[in-house]
Amino acid sequence: MRKAVLLVDDSAMMRKVVSRTLKMAGLEFEQVLEAGDGAEALTCLRDNNVELIMCDINMPVMNGLELLQRIKEENLAVGVPIVMVTTEGSEPQVRQAILAGAKGYIRKPFSADHIKNSVTPLLAP
Amino acid sequence: MSELLVKARPYSLEHFLSNENLELADETVSEVFRTLLGFTAEALSASDAQGVAGEQNGRTAIVGFSGAMRGYCGVRLSSPAACAIASAMLGGMDIDEDDDSIDDGVGEICNMIAGGWKNRIPELSSRCSLSPPTVISGRDYKIHTVKPSVTVERVYKFDVHTLRVVLDYEQRSAEMGDPSVTPSSCTGELDRIAS
Repeated sequence: MRKAVLLVDDSAMMRKVVSRTLKMAGLEFEQVLEAGDGAEALTCLRDNNVELIMCDINMPVMNGLELLQRIKEENLAVGVPIVMVTTEGSEPQVRQAILAGAKGYIRKPFSADHIKNSVTPLLAP
Repeated sequence: MSELLVKARPYSLEHFLSNENLELADETVSEVFRTLLGFTAEALSASDAQGVAGEQNGRTAIVGFSGAMRGYCGVRLSSPAACAIASAMLGGMDIDEDDDSIDDGVGEICNMIAGGWKNRIPELSSRCSLSPPTVISGRDYKIHTVKPSVTVERVYKFDVHTLRVVLDYEQRSAEMGDPSVTPSSCTGELDRIAS
């Protein structure tokens, strides 16, 4: 079993849905850490080591793209794959997220297969 | 060296009112329900939809559009239907009707329908943004928009419940015969507004 995943979304319901779908995709983590916005996620990353970050884009306080920038600036979560999970998903936004350091992009609604196919190749064996 | 100027086409009222638009809405609702909730959602015909009683004590989630199109996507449903959606999102877990996760779930479903619909329209995909969802619960309330607008409404059946989806298109001045502005208000007996 893998160690820890960080789920960042302002919707508690969506954090639960992502957590459940990761399990359904066969990706089980000992610890599921949650943050309601980018600022909470930064605090969490300063105190914890995670193997995967799943992050929404549109959030209050600090959105997902700002979070990517801050992770880079503070040299946090080096080498940890960050997958954006969002309702938005236009080409420019995907490009922007990838340029800012995201390794993958999943559009809501998603199935366990979407998660498995997008996330598994990014994780260390 | 020639320079190519590409001017983005505006999203027109004519396009909004087309059958193609209704098909995109149907496709989106069907995808959200099938993929996330495991339900089949089918659009009712206009005559069948008329027979569906208005939700007396329910919830309405609203997500605003801005940019290339202004307006909103609204999802209105009864409390038991909202409960069924939240329960399905959590893998069938039992949920009380006053659980906060119900508003959260209905707001997210509205967000996905709004986003899925506009992402299917090239003129809107990257040129239209979504507001965070707002969820209203209460009874007999009506929502009025600030500016003159045109709405398209569809009723879908899922499991033993129905769901009403409203797409609202705020008219630009060039599209309006009567430029008068109607006041914004929300009337009725409101229990709660959450966003």
